[in-house]
Amino acid sequence: MKLDDRTYRDAAREATEARFARAVAACLSESADQLSPDLAERLRFGREKALEAARRARGETVGVTASGAAIVGFGKSSWWLRLASVLPLVALVGGLVMIQNWQTRTQISVAAEIDEALLGDDLPINAYRDPGFAEFLKTPPSE
Amino acid sequence: MATEKELSDFLKSVEKRAWKRAVYAVRDEDAALDIVQDTMIRLAEKYADRPVAELPLLFQRILSNATMDWFRRQKVKTQVVRNFSEYEGPGEDSEFDILETLEALGGPLQSESAAESVSRAQILQTIEAEVALLPARQREAFLLRYWEELDVAETAASMGCSEGSVKTHCSRAVHALAKALKAKGITS
Repeated sequence: MKLDDRTYRDAAREATEARFARAVAACLSESADQLSPDLAERLRFGREKALEAARRARGETVGVTASGAAIVGFGKSSWWLRLASVLPLVALVGGLVMIQNWQTRTQISVAAEIDEALLGDDLPINAYRDPGFAEFLKTPPSE
Repeated sequence: MATEKELSDFLKSVEKRAWKRAVYAVRDEDAALDIVQDTMIRLAEKYADRPVAELPLLFQRILSNATMDWFRRQKVKTQVVRNFSEYEGPGEDSEFDILETLEALGGPLQSESAAESVSRAQILQTIEAEVALLPARQREAFLLRYWEELDVAETAASMGCSEGSVKTHCSRAVHALAKALKAKGITS
C-alpha cells in the first residue's frame, strides 16, 4: 500500500515537473519567435549557405566555363566525368603509338623491297663497292 | 533521403531555438550565430542524404559538439564542466514552488512585488536569464527534453549519458528554475 502511495506521488511529481517544464518551454518559444529581423535575416543567410553545402555534397556542381556558359555536373557521376576528361588523352597517345608503328612497318617494307631488288638483280652486289662502277653510274649515258 | 525543401524546412524550424540555445550556452550572440551556421552546414554537408526523421537528433548532437568546439577554441572549457554534485536535489518545498510558478507561466501573469507592472516581455526575459544560468548539463537536458521535445532515450543519446542522468538533470533543472523564478517574484 505504501509502495502504491509512493509510486503515485512519484508519478504526480513527474507530471507536475513536466507541466512546468512545458510551460517554461512555451515561454522560450514565444521569446524565440520575437527575434529581430536582422537576426532572422542572418539565420536565413546561414541556412542558405547550408543548403548550398548540401547541394555540393549531393554532387550537384555548377561551374562556369571561360566563355561564360554554365556547366552542371552531378557529383555521384564525377568519377565518370573524370574518366571522360581522360579519354581524349588516352585516344591521342593511342593514335601516336599507332602512327609510329605504321611508320616503322613502312620503313621495314621499303628496306625489304630494296633488298629484294638488289639480291634479285643480275648485277653482283659487290659491284656497288667498286669505285669504278660507282663512277660509271654517275656518268650520264652518252648519246 | 531528405529533399532540399525538407532540409530547408527543417533548418527553418530549428534555427531560432538553436540560436537561443547557443546564446544560453556561450552568452555571445555573434558566436551563437556562428555556431548555428556551422551546425547547419555540418548537417547539410554530412547528413543531407539521411531521412528527414533522423535530422532532429543529428542536428542536436552536432549543435552540442559545435558548442563544445567553441568552448575549446575559447579555452574556457572548464567553465562548462561544473561539479554537478553541488546542485542539490529537490527539497520538500520544491513541489510547492513549481505549482506556484506554473500558475504564473500559464495563467494571468502576476508578480509578487511589482504586481501588474511586470510585463510579459520582462517575464520572458527573466525566464531566459534563469535558463541561461542553469548548469550546462541540466540546461542541455531540459532544453532537449522539453523544448526540442526529444524523448528521454533520444536526449540521452544526444548528450551521451544514461536515461537516468537525463531524468535527474531535468528534474533538477525544473526545481532550480521554479525556485529561481519564485525568488524573482514570478508566482501566482
